[in-house]
Amino acid sequence: MRRPPLVVVLVAVAVIALGEASGAIIGALRPAVARWAAAQVAARPQAHGFTGSAEYDDEVRDRAVFATEAGLSFLHTHAEGMGLVAFFASTLVASVVAHRRLRALLYGLLTAGALFPVGYLVYAVAVLTRGREDGIALAETWVLTPLGVAAILGLAGLAVSLMWGAPTWPPTPPIRSEAPRHSRGAPRPPNS
Amino acid sequence: MTERESWRLPPRAVLLAAVILLLAAEIGGASMARFKLDLARWARGQMLARPAVHGLVGVRDVDERALDEALFRFDTGLRLFHMHAEGMALVVIATTTTAATLARRPGVRRALVGALTLGGVGYPVGYLLWSALIPAWGVERSKTLVEWLIWIPFGGATIVALAGLLAVIAARIAGR
Repeated sequence: MRRPPLVVVLVAVAVIALGEASGAIIGALRPAVARWAAAQVAARPQAHGFTGSAEYDDEVRDRAVFATEAGLSFLHTHAEGMGLVAFFASTLVASVVAHRRLRALLYGLLTAGALFPVGYLVYAVAVLTRGREDGIALAETWVLTPLGVAAILGLAGLAVSLMWGAPTWPPTPPIRSEAPRHSRGAPRPPNS
Repeated sequence: MTERESWRLPPRAVLLAAVILLLAAEIGGASMARFKLDLARWARGQMLARPAVHGLVGVRDVDERALDEALFRFDTGLRLFHMHAEGMALVVIATTTTAATLARRPGVRRALVGALTLGGVGYPVGYLLWSALIPAWGVERSKTLVEWLIWIPFGGATIVALAGLLAVIAARIAGR
């Protein structure tokens, strides 16, 4: 199998590393993260629509903290998965897509798609800083949707290339009847 | 930007370890579904045999809640083993292939491939061990043990090796 460009490999491995690191943080520092998130919400009462009623405000804060924890959890799972998707899909692109420009386009789309999980980091932070609904809308509109679409287009392009493109890998061996045949011991032509 | 070069495979033992981990994940997932009730029954029996470990006081309402919580964690450990073993086996294949191809110095290559393999294969086993220990040791005590014995050393090895691999790739991009 052929290797994709180093930049694509770097992004794929960096996203996998981000997934590993975020998993470790979620596992080891969950109470600290929850406390920090609650403090961020409390520091922005207007963004979260606090009313001054303790019962209502507590519920709003809990929902925002839960959304942040969910965002970090999605970051972990999606980063592990999308890093691998980018790695293996770009290896397939390098191996089977013959046209250089199409290859470059698919590398670009798959690399952008690999960054999709970063949207969940934006989601987790934006929920705290802009309020739950606005934060989720921001992450979905500007990060998750465009990067997710890039991943889908990249994979669709790879699928189309596999269906209709001319594969460059594996190399097709010559048909036996067409290959030059030489009897053992017979002199070979000078240019063979 | 260089491209159209070929991947070099990591040593066969690394691929074998990753494939065995994938196999264990598949078997784990299948067993969880097929033997769900038997596993829960076994774990519950083990827990009832050790009331002090699980804080059972002999009051049905209190004990059932404690048992449900421990059984939930037991099941969670098995599910997390299944998921992490599937994922980490693929991570081992991808990252050791990258290290085998891009790390020029044999010592660096061996260290990266070794750490990525040991860390990647060892880490998910922690979830299986956690589940296995819960009935006898309790949720928190077994979690602490597995954290120090497996998750921190093996997970730490993977994270450090990934940082090293990123440095190798960055150095190759910079032309060093």
